[in-house]
Amino acid sequence: MSRFRLLLLLVLALAACKKDGPAPPQPQPASTASTLLLEHEVDAMGLAFDSILYVNAAGHAYGVTRLEYYLSGLTLLGSPGTPDLEIPGPWYVNAEGQTAFKLGTLPGGTYSGVAVQLGLPPGLNQTGALPATLENLNMAWPDPMGGGYHFMKFEGHFIHNGTAAGFAMHLGRNEQLVHCSMPATFTLDGTADTLALRFNLNEVFRNPHTYDLATGNQSMGSMVLMGLLRDNCADAFTFEHRP
Amino acid sequence: MNKASAALLFLFLGLWLGTGCRHEAQEPVDPCASGTTPLQLDLPAYAPPPVIPADNPLTVEGVALGRRLYYDTLLSLNGPYQGFACASCHHQDKAFTVPTAGTNVLSHANLGWSTHFLWNGGVEGTLEDVMRFEVEEFFQVDIQALRARPEYPALFRQAFGTCSITAREVAMALAQWMRRITSFNSRFDQYLRYEGTLSPQELSGMNLFLTEAGDCFHCHSLPLMTDNAFHNIGLDSIFSGTGVGRYAVTGNPFDLGAFKTPTLRNIAQTAPYMHDGRFQTLEEVLAFYSGGVHHSPSLDPIMTKPGTGLTLGLTPQQKADLVAFLHTLTDEDFLTDPALGSPF
Repeated sequence: MSRFRLLLLLVLALAACKKDGPAPPQPQPASTASTLLLEHEVDAMGLAFDSILYVNAAGHAYGVTRLEYYLSGLTLLGSPGTPDLEIPGPWYVNAEGQTAFKLGTLPGGTYSGVAVQLGLPPGLNQTGALPATLENLNMAWPDPMGGGYHFMKFEGHFIHNGTAAGFAMHLGRNEQLVHCSMPATFTLDGTADTLALRFNLNEVFRNPHTYDLATGNQSMGSMVLMGLLRDNCADAFTFEHRP
Repeated sequence: MNKASAALLFLFLGLWLGTGCRHEAQEPVDPCASGTTPLQLDLPAYAPPPVIPADNPLTVEGVALGRRLYYDTLLSLNGPYQGFACASCHHQDKAFTVPTAGTNVLSHANLGWSTHFLWNGGVEGTLEDVMRFEVEEFFQVDIQALRARPEYPALFRQAFGTCSITAREVAMALAQWMRRITSFNSRFDQYLRYEGTLSPQELSGMNLFLTEAGDCFHCHSLPLMTDNAFHNIGLDSIFSGTGVGRYAVTGNPFDLGAFKTPTLRNIAQTAPYMHDGRFQTLEEVLAFYSGGVHHSPSLDPIMTKPGTGLTLGLTPQQKADLVAFLHTLTDEDFLTDPALGSPF
């Protein structure tokens, strides 16, 4: 064995005992995870809780104390050469809590719009279908009323005959699943994007029906009132792509 | 270099590579180390997963220590409540409450799912946080007194692997014990699990409870029978003193008169009712909900019934049915289980 090989062995042995130093910084690949972001407003005003700041189509001044809902079936509508992309969800949204959700890496392409459901599809709208988290348990729709979950709890106070009264716009049952479709041409290139959905609460009370809180301040027990909400909510969301 | 010296060099290198890289000395045996046994809570499938901090997992030893502390009046030695233990105001046969005049005592059943504690949510966070409040501010525990007792140092060592007892470990042990205080074996639970039946009257009460006729479920949601939130249910229309409720914490006018939703589990055992114990019986409670709700600007929206009225208008039969259903929430095992009782 040559002296050189012995020296090499010695150097290798010494190197083997060298403590690990800090690794040199490695270039990090840019994140490609896109985000679904929910924003809440009342016409042009940002949503502020616990203040009677807003006026609905029926002329009632109102404020919001609670806004919780499920979204599901988010679909990026394709265009020639780009197939539809469905991201089933569901997402539980609390306007006072989590409003941003990671979607992972979305395939690139040019899309012609977005569709989403306010509520849960029938397969998930069954008692116990969602994990027993506190949020899901508090959104439960009791079995004697059909089972499943509230699609939305939108509560607050409105001024009626000069005094504050409560309202609770609760939506549920498979028949009342809200289908929203928003045309918009946008292109994804495989990098991180934000898909922003803006929920305008005044749309809950108008178009096509002017909803009168004075005669329907609680919706849960009435399929008729929930039907009005379902129709009105179909255009309650607007979409914005933020590259 | 000849072959013999080369062989010696290889031998040296081999020994060095085999042993020379180990820098750490032999670890001495830690006299304070613990050997804990993990403890799994026995929960039904419909129970939400318990929230357990990673740094305070449930162990047999930790729960046993917490139980002992819960029942030990030593906790209050030299503090403002001398002679009291936690259990002094939380009796097992009363679902870990006690009948009192003035501010009512909240049950400790299933508190492991709460994030806000006390009627107005004045303490926020985990059970460890609220137990730290109890140890340091409420009881003002004399830690030195715990250290001086012959049994406690060994019990803390077994539970937490520490020879030094601090408020942190006392709170952690109590928090573990509080998570163990679970109630999921009432007759209603057995009905949900297809292990038992309810009478026609109890079923009628359940249907009232779970529909808008009674509209109890929005706040007393299954299976905890509480949404762990705060509501002004219309007990008063003018608020002062402790009656301001959650407002005292948040300063939000919409929180005036709002209090934490208590669990209805074992409700038949926890009279009197409401935050100030103003109602002595469940019948009085239902009479209030049926026709005694007071209006105020902060009244919870859910309390305003269709047509903006404040009355449920329950019939005497409906009230009786609801009371019958509420009695099915009594968990006899929970009230009598020796494992939840005093270790002394």
